[in-house]
Amino acid sequence: MSTTVTEATPTTDAAPRPRRRIPGRHAWQAVGPIVIFVAMLVVVAILTPAFIGGGGLAIVATSSAPILLLALGQAMVLNVGSIDLSNAAIALLGAILLALTLGPVAGAAPLVILLATTLFGAVNGFLVATFQVPSFALTLGTLGIFQAAALVLSGRTTVYVSANSEVTSTLYQTGIANVPMTFWIAVVFAVVLWVMMRYTRVGRGLTAIGKNESAAIFSAVRTRSLKVLAFALSGFAAGLGSIAIIAQAGSASPSGLGSDLLLPAIAAALIGGTSISGGVVNPLAVIFGALTVALVPIASAAIGIPTQAQSLVYGVVIIAIVALTMSRNKSSIVK
Amino acid sequence: MTARTAADASARTAHENEVTAMSDTTPVLRLSGISKTFGMNKAVDSVSFEILPGEVIGLIGENGAGKSTLLKMLSGNYRPDAGTIEVNGAPQTFRGPADALRSGIGVVHQEQSLFTNLTVAENIEINTPAGRGGVSRLGLYNWRRLNRDAARALELIGSKLDPNTRVSDLTFVDRQMVEIARAIRVSASSHTPPLVILDEPTAILERTETEILEREISKLRDIGSVIFVSHRLDEVLRICDRVLVMSNGRLIADRRSRETNEDELFRLMVGREVHAAQRARSSVAPGTTPVIAVSELARTGEFADVSFDVYPGRVLAVLGTSGSGRESLVRTIFGAEAATSGTVAIGGDASARPSIQRSVRSGIGYLPAERKTEGMVGEMPADENLTLTHPGRAAVGPFELPRRRRAIAAEWFETLDIRPRTPERQLGEFSGGNQQKVVLAKWLNSDELRALLLDHPLRGLDPGAAETVNEQVRAVCDAGTAIVLIPDTIEEALEIADDIIVMRDGRVSGRYDLGHDDPTTLDLLERML
Repeated sequence: MSTTVTEATPTTDAAPRPRRRIPGRHAWQAVGPIVIFVAMLVVVAILTPAFIGGGGLAIVATSSAPILLLALGQAMVLNVGSIDLSNAAIALLGAILLALTLGPVAGAAPLVILLATTLFGAVNGFLVATFQVPSFALTLGTLGIFQAAALVLSGRTTVYVSANSEVTSTLYQTGIANVPMTFWIAVVFAVVLWVMMRYTRVGRGLTAIGKNESAAIFSAVRTRSLKVLAFALSGFAAGLGSIAIIAQAGSASPSGLGSDLLLPAIAAALIGGTSISGGVVNPLAVIFGALTVALVPIASAAIGIPTQAQSLVYGVVIIAIVALTMSRNKSSIVK
Repeated sequence: MTARTAADASARTAHENEVTAMSDTTPVLRLSGISKTFGMNKAVDSVSFEILPGEVIGLIGENGAGKSTLLKMLSGNYRPDAGTIEVNGAPQTFRGPADALRSGIGVVHQEQSLFTNLTVAENIEINTPAGRGGVSRLGLYNWRRLNRDAARALELIGSKLDPNTRVSDLTFVDRQMVEIARAIRVSASSHTPPLVILDEPTAILERTETEILEREISKLRDIGSVIFVSHRLDEVLRICDRVLVMSNGRLIADRRSRETNEDELFRLMVGREVHAAQRARSSVAPGTTPVIAVSELARTGEFADVSFDVYPGRVLAVLGTSGSGRESLVRTIFGAEAATSGTVAIGGDASARPSIQRSVRSGIGYLPAERKTEGMVGEMPADENLTLTHPGRAAVGPFELPRRRRAIAAEWFETLDIRPRTPERQLGEFSGGNQQKVVLAKWLNSDELRALLLDHPLRGLDPGAAETVNEQVRAVCDAGTAIVLIPDTIEEALEIADDIIVMRDGRVSGRYDLGHDDPTTLDLLERML
């Protein structure tokens, strides 16, 4: 339990003896999600040794890609003390748009889609920041709008990519270590976000907003722009999610792959140690959050839990893990 | 009542004549060898003292000296690691705040803890047990009884508040009275003399309000004893019979008020002499551009028609009572509140809509009175707070280099003597005085600080920390920064300011240039009221 991660700078101060913080909680926040993922993996490996040998890990990573992308976007929004309920709907709308445009504009389509979804996210952020609408209510509203748009554009059926499907499908068919590029793109995105959060002024500002928005405003942090940015990043992540969906399925439909990503992505962000009340996020830990979320159904199938009971297992495991990893650094008030 | 008062008075005299000798009066409270340790830190180190009936005791010490920990043991929030607490001669073990209340110890905390949406009576009766004879039965209030009992508690402390008033409609001082009534309520019903602990009750009061509270505290003598915690040494000497000084967890001095003075208490607390430096006052050179020029500024419901200029290297103090609108004025200048009409010019560049972004870009800093909510991000490390607004050399393009950030923080920790020297620790874990220094350093880290707006900068600071903050403010002022100060006291203004403007009911009621005017405290007070 006593995994030491925090740096121990010797203090030069002789006067009141500084209380050294017990490193436990901070350390746990960094490594907790990894520990939990590995622990679950060990349990699965013991119960069904074939799981590891049979490429089970690659399957988990593969199926975690869209969850991870959406979870990273969600984590950025949660970090500023808001929530984006519309990100999965944006991803699905983006996937349908991508399926429709890949034929006509080929290689430009993914870029157009990323631009569009980023814009959708930015509009969410702009409305939240400007009109001070609670993000929960606002994104619940835009969720409906994006869903309706997806239904209209798809004509309530599955939209197949008419041509140039290789533009995206290569991302799924090629890979490293048996895991498709879509997953690795998500990992690279996580690393970029991690660097942003840790080493940039923007990251510092985002964290300040999540921990104490008034103080951030009084410190001349550009709170409004940064909130728009957080939502725009969520939109961008959803756009990457659309690409991952099309890469894998070659088609998109309002009820197909990606239509039920909202809650798993939130769960992944929380298991990754993201604080639901803002101010604490570690994009690298979210990777393991997403892997864990993807592992639960695959592993319970491998162990032989009947399909009917799988969502029960899923629910119990999610609750237990979130209770273990969630940041309680902030006040006890859970919004 | 009169008999008891007389007895108390004689007890006080006896106490003053013979402190150490056994008196026939049982002490209300006797602590022997009380200690409390957190981790490696001895927060309270074998503290012993006693309080006699009718005594008002002052408890002073720097932030972090152990006062709060000691009080929390008396209120039942912490349990001592060693030592005994005796109340009226009987040893007590408090398992929680309810136990302490039952034995007659009531605490009025620094931050008010009333339920503002409930009535005065409900607040006062909140700790009284339910059931037979109580104010509620089967979960239902007996309103008549509730109001009657509350009125009795209020009467005991000489307050005529209507128990049916909502707390949200009360002034700050009246709320304080409700807190005191609540603190004595439980002991009043069991007829034990209460011991009321007032934890910095005057920290955020204006001068006139303080005087009212002082009168109320002296009334408490008649019914019980008081422990009064404050950073204002003059006040402690005026109100208390005896002053206890704590430092590094120990009780280092026990002085009778009439035999000590502010300088001695300061020296005992801080461990060094008072630097009584009078500022050399300069006059404005003709033709100087004001750093901030406020012109006919107004904000509906707060202030109107306010004009003044602030010049480089000068301190302008804004005096006024809590209804004067001076806090709102300064926040409007900074851009935190919207002006209704008028303009604020920074360096000659006038605007009708000041914004925080613009102010900070043009070199203005603001130290909010609400430090915890507006001044700092408590859960962020001190060094990140310090560079949040002006990263200085820590920023390279969009990046911020942790190593350089820590170096900058280390320098400020040294300059401002911020303790402990652990800038990587969360700012919320520092004591109030050290937090304030970090918030100040956040603005001082600007390359081009032209003006600093200070809203009650010394509020809640112990005298040592207050002096460091003042010294630093003087230093930046001498280096050419203009200062707008909302002081806690008139004395603070007279000590540090070059110019004073006085506000009353949202309008300027007096202007003084201390270079040639010499207003007395009374002059200023008259303009305020």
